[in-house]
Amino acid sequence: MSHKQAVVPQGDDAERVPLAARKVSFSWEGTPLHWVPGDPFSTHTINVLHLLLPAGERWFVHVYRQVLPHIRDERLRADVIGFIGQEAMHSQAHDEVLPHLREQGLDPTPYTAQVDWLFEKLLGDRTLPPGRARHWWLMERVAIIAAIEHYTAFLGNWVLNADELDRRGADPTMLDLLRWHGAEEVEHRSVAFELFLHVDGGYRRRVRTWATAFGALLFLWQRGTRFFMANDPTLVDARASFKEFYLRGRRGTLPATGEIVKSVPRYLSRAYHPSQEGSTAQALAYLASSPAARAADQAAGGGKGAA
Amino acid sequence: MPRLRTVVAVAGVTGAAGAVVRRALRRRVQGSPLWPLPALEEPVSGRPRSRVLRLAVTARDTVADGVVLLRLEGRELPRWEPGAHLDVVLPSGAVRQYSLCGDPADTGAYTIAVRLVDGGRGGSRELHEQVLEGAELEVRGPRNRFPLVAAPGYVFVAGGIGVTPILPMLRSLPEGTPWRLLYGGRSRASMPFLDEVERLGGSGRVTVAAEDESGLPDLDALLADLPAGTAVYCCGPEGLMAAVAERAPGVRLERFAPGAAAGGDGAFEVELRRSGRTLTVEAGQSVLAAVRAELPDTVYSCAQGFCGTCQQRVLEGEVDHRDELLTDGERGDSMLICVSRARGDRIVLDM
Repeated sequence: MSHKQAVVPQGDDAERVPLAARKVSFSWEGTPLHWVPGDPFSTHTINVLHLLLPAGERWFVHVYRQVLPHIRDERLRADVIGFIGQEAMHSQAHDEVLPHLREQGLDPTPYTAQVDWLFEKLLGDRTLPPGRARHWWLMERVAIIAAIEHYTAFLGNWVLNADELDRRGADPTMLDLLRWHGAEEVEHRSVAFELFLHVDGGYRRRVRTWATAFGALLFLWQRGTRFFMANDPTLVDARASFKEFYLRGRRGTLPATGEIVKSVPRYLSRAYHPSQEGSTAQALAYLASSPAARAADQAAGGGKGAA
Repeated sequence: MPRLRTVVAVAGVTGAAGAVVRRALRRRVQGSPLWPLPALEEPVSGRPRSRVLRLAVTARDTVADGVVLLRLEGRELPRWEPGAHLDVVLPSGAVRQYSLCGDPADTGAYTIAVRLVDGGRGGSRELHEQVLEGAELEVRGPRNRFPLVAAPGYVFVAGGIGVTPILPMLRSLPEGTPWRLLYGGRSRASMPFLDEVERLGGSGRVTVAAEDESGLPDLDALLADLPAGTAVYCCGPEGLMAAVAERAPGVRLERFAPGAAAGGDGAFEVELRRSGRTLTVEAGQSVLAAVRAELPDTVYSCAQGFCGTCQQRVLEGEVDHRDELLTDGERGDSMLICVSRARGDRIVLDM
């Protein structure tokens, strides 16, 4: 409960918008294997998203469906429901990239099958007695999601501003997927944290789950980049190294190492609120111009409304 | 200087041990990218369920009067089991279902057969007239709501173009399985795959009933005194399926025809078993809207059948699935209540 927190950080109301999923679809036929031209390392480092998000965001939805009955605030409830719809769509959109990679000779299944195990089994619903143990595990997962969402918002904000990718001629469809997704992550960046504050909010839990999430992300990401580099059919003896990552961060085709380091104390600060990160206005401006999001809006406007 | 020697020796040994460990680790990681995590036995990711496939029509043959066979080529197409169908998006944007009748092991192409229906909804006319060799077709699927179950014996009843889902079933039955097929149609010339069906059947297993030769098929003789456990499959015109269902109540049916079945937005009844309520879903109203009037806490999100939040377990009644998300397994016992409706006049939900 939020009484464990001396001061509950508040979001900025101007940054709050009603959330709804956009039914986007992307066609991958024209996207080359190295969609950041001439830069397989940046391409594959970003491609790791496609390995993690289908299973990860499906898991978010799974956990949040269970937490809905614990929400006592109507506005937050509406936000969480919108969040669920958006995450479900993200998961599907990234999932559709995987067959495209396979068709280009880079089969992601060995990696994704293990990510599937991580989210479905290790982080799934364990056989726990109803009551405290089960509630503890649910709260732990809600807190892990809040920590992960800190980084998805960070990455979303990064990709919306990654002009270097445009300058280098990155594939427009892939950029649209990443920026549509990034913009929705920025748009709903406060939901996971506010939900965590609402149902638990303990500071020790926040630190503990941050450490878990951050450590897991580093582990998964470096293994993912190495996996892609080692199995890319067009590369011979390619290696992934931290130096490569650092250099591309300075160049702007990947997030800068310094920025990632600086994001850590921000999340652990007691005054943290996600609305301090990124800009809703920028996210909405991108969504208003995104080819995929516009097509989804038109289809929704022209089609029959349900419910 | 014994100390220096010790330091050098220890450093050498640790260095060598480190190199061995690194190499061993690298080898492990090569075989299993997230070692030491295990893999999920049946991976979920990378098999998108609503992925749109754009396939090239590489062959278009007339295989019977008014029936064309289309070969749709792609790469690494999702696998399917006999009984499966595709959702085909027509040039006009309308979506129609066609059973797959090719080889399930062929991941390079799908085959469908389409009969031109006069006075139908126009889908078959569009396919016959506008989709020529070299065209590109958008399809979704495959899905299977007519799966071949394991049984000691089988009886199939096909009417005309209804033979298409049954043909791959016949091909896939293990040698020695007892089966019979009654294949009815207007005339032999209008019945596709007749030669192959007769060849598969060998002696005595296939009865061909061409209306212009022998009149309507004799269902009573076929369906009387079936051995226990025999699975009965039927696909064909509405009248034929009704007649079979009357004589073999456990029959598995595959319906593509419009009408009460699909596309209708009529009213029906929903029983919410756990909360002990029964309500009416009005024509044009969604199940979700009707349920939320009674149970306002019902969760949902996109309300368009793509996010899956509103999935509910179905206890009784047949569902007309209109989402793009659920797998065939999930469709067996659940539905997305925001878009899907009852196929009949009543369904029972576990809520």
